[in-house]
Amino acid sequence: MTLVFEPKANRPAPTNTVGFVGWLRQNLFKDIPNTLMTILGLYLTITVVGWVLNWALFNAVWDASSRRECLDLVGRSGACWPGVVEWLPNMIYGLYPKDQVWRINLGFLALIVWLVPLWMGGVKSKVAIGLSVVAFYPFLASYFFLGGDKGPIWTALVALGLWGLVWVWSTALCERRTGLSIGTWLAQRFADADNDIAQKRVRQAAALLLFVVCVGLVSQWSLSEVRTQFWGGLFLTLVISGIGITFSLPAGILLALGRRSDMPAIAMLSTLFIELFRSVPLITILFMFNTMLPLFMPAGTEVNQLLRAIVAVCLFAAAYMAEIVRGGLQAIPKGQYEAASALGLGFWQTTTQVVMPQALKIMIPTIVGNFIGLFKDTTLVSIIGLFDLMNMARAVGEDSDWLGLFIEPFFVVSLIYFVFCFAMSSYSIGLERKLSAGRDR
Amino acid sequence: MSGNNKARKVIEINGLNKWFGQFHVLKDINLTVREREIYVVCGPSGSGKSTLIRCINQLEHHQEGDILVDGVEVEKGGKNQTLIRRKTGMVFQQFNLFPHLTVLENCTLTPTLGLQTPKKDAEELAMKHLNRVGIADQALKYPLQLSGGQQQRVAIARSLCTQPKIMLFDEPTSALDPEMIKEVLDVMIELAEDGMTMICVTHEMGFARQVADKVVFMDQGEIVESNTPAEFFADPRFDRTQQFLAHIL
Ligand SMILES: Nc1ncnc2c1ncn2[C@@H]1O[C@H](COP(=O)(O)OP(=O)(O)O)[C@@H](O)[C@H]1O
Ligand SMILES: [Mg+2]
Repeated sequence: MTLVFEPKANRPAPTNTVGFVGWLRQNLFKDIPNTLMTILGLYLTITVVGWVLNWALFNAVWDASSRRECLDLVGRSGACWPGVVEWLPNMIYGLYPKDQVWRINLGFLALIVWLVPLWMGGVKSKVAIGLSVVAFYPFLASYFFLGGDKGPIWTALVALGLWGLVWVWSTALCERRTGLSIGTWLAQRFADADNDIAQKRVRQAAALLLFVVCVGLVSQWSLSEVRTQFWGGLFLTLVISGIGITFSLPAGILLALGRRSDMPAIAMLSTLFIELFRSVPLITILFMFNTMLPLFMPAGTEVNQLLRAIVAVCLFAAAYMAEIVRGGLQAIPKGQYEAASALGLGFWQTTTQVVMPQALKIMIPTIVGNFIGLFKDTTLVSIIGLFDLMNMARAVGEDSDWLGLFIEPFFVVSLIYFVFCFAMSSYSIGLERKLSAGRDR
Repeated sequence: MSGNNKARKVIEINGLNKWFGQFHVLKDINLTVREREIYVVCGPSGSGKSTLIRCINQLEHHQEGDILVDGVEVEKGGKNQTLIRRKTGMVFQQFNLFPHLTVLENCTLTPTLGLQTPKKDAEELAMKHLNRVGIADQALKYPLQLSGGQQQRVAIARSLCTQPKIMLFDEPTSALDPEMIKEVLDVMIELAEDGMTMICVTHEMGFARQVADKVVFMDQGEIVESNTPAEFFADPRFDRTQQFLAHIL
């Protein structure tokens, strides 16, 4: 006689913790050492938080005209905020002319507006939008920030920046409504469905038309020049680290590929560059670029100090990123390369479509960690005399009214850094979750 | 499926020798595979089976001898490897699907990127082949959401999408759980019956008996003997072959 196998019905998994109290018992008060640690931790947390709150809020002075007044009121038991409040515009914008500060705000607003479609549902061209930020936004931003006369080339580049922004939003909105990018939509609207050449023409014509309009608009703009000597504060920090971060990823990818290249010359040069910049502290590189670069340049060429710092930061960051990317590339199994080769894909096709997407996904936490490190490392530019956020904070305590006021501005600076770094890190965790959703075993 | 000596030669190998450093891995290999023929290659581990078929699509470069794929001479050092690889399809033991792409995207990647087929046509072609391997309903899933057998069938479909002249299989069922081997073999048998030219490295002797035109036995970098399955299994000529068969049957 044959027996019939009947699988058992599924049961829910047993809950290993019963309610909140159970969780507490299990995790915080399991045995005596554990309980003692919990109590000690709790005590320390409450003391420290209490102390900070007392200092920063309850005992703090909000209204005074000099540090003397603050000290007379509460001594050292409370923070003296008026000095920080007075200096806050400088800590954010540096010595940028007050009546021109709107340009900085507008520049960063443009960036945010540019990025918003990345978070909108129904938008498909997210990679293109992300790339457009890197490719076009810098022109727009540098004109807002720098201003000054613009020749025909500069006008064209700034117009390209504006063009990018308009394209991003029209594509985003068009994709939300019709599912097609703006170019495809226009092409289908104004050209025959099967006439590829006509479709291409329509796309080109639309792009050109938009560009001409942008040039027209941009040539009407006229912003006074603000030289980089006046740049400072959080603004300068964001500019330096923003450029460093944006440059370091593509440059790092190229260097990492170069180091693994079959061509000995390329491999050697990449390795040399990477090892050179990785074995020297950033501060040394900054000094070298700041003091030695002008010596090697032909007499009379003036390289802007900010530019020198930015170049130094970029090269340093690229070398570090290269090693991170190389680590990610090593994690990709050989079979992936072989499968791509066997299918007849070339080196760049394999790299961009098969290897990099997988490697970058694994590397997100490390890359963002590196971005955060770079963001914080830019404080070192204060040493070569740039007035970044850090240096501006120090300047508060050197103002004759607020002589010696250091803790409060540094407290605020720490908060600002914390907010930015925490945001980056949370974003990376979110991104990781999203990318791995549904793709893992 | 055919002993037709007039059919076109898809693979022609003459005097192939290959070394890994000082290690002589392939010795004087001669092999001709004609259109619609199915060759099964077997032999102990390390005998050079993988290396042989990997020389055909230039995943390994050979040092001596001539290899012709579909009448095109394979240049040494991989100079025309892309052309050669487009004429061949390969299925690996470990599937090697691209985990970040859906099943459908795995299949359309090469046609759209390498061969510049319009996306719509590439998807149609992909669905046709996914249908053929019985996995069209999983097209939008990611590879790691599928079982091993399903993944290997996707890998076969992915190769077929490049419309190869010959399919090379390197132990396609060795990494599979026993109950999934059959579904992959069934797909391969169907392919064989549809007239695909194939070289399969496999130890599935049932498969060899059923569809192979020739069974090739390799040992220590040499082709020891090559015969029709009936004769190969009934009357192996070399003692080495007998030992091997005694071992695996
Ligand atoms: N890339 C390589 N470098 C050096 N030796 C290798 C390499 N690939 C394979 N071999 C050696 O070549 C021999 C044949 O390998 P392979 O063709 O994979 O055998 P099979 O597929 O028959 O098991 C083995 O001894 C293996 O160790
Ligand atoms: Mg093998």
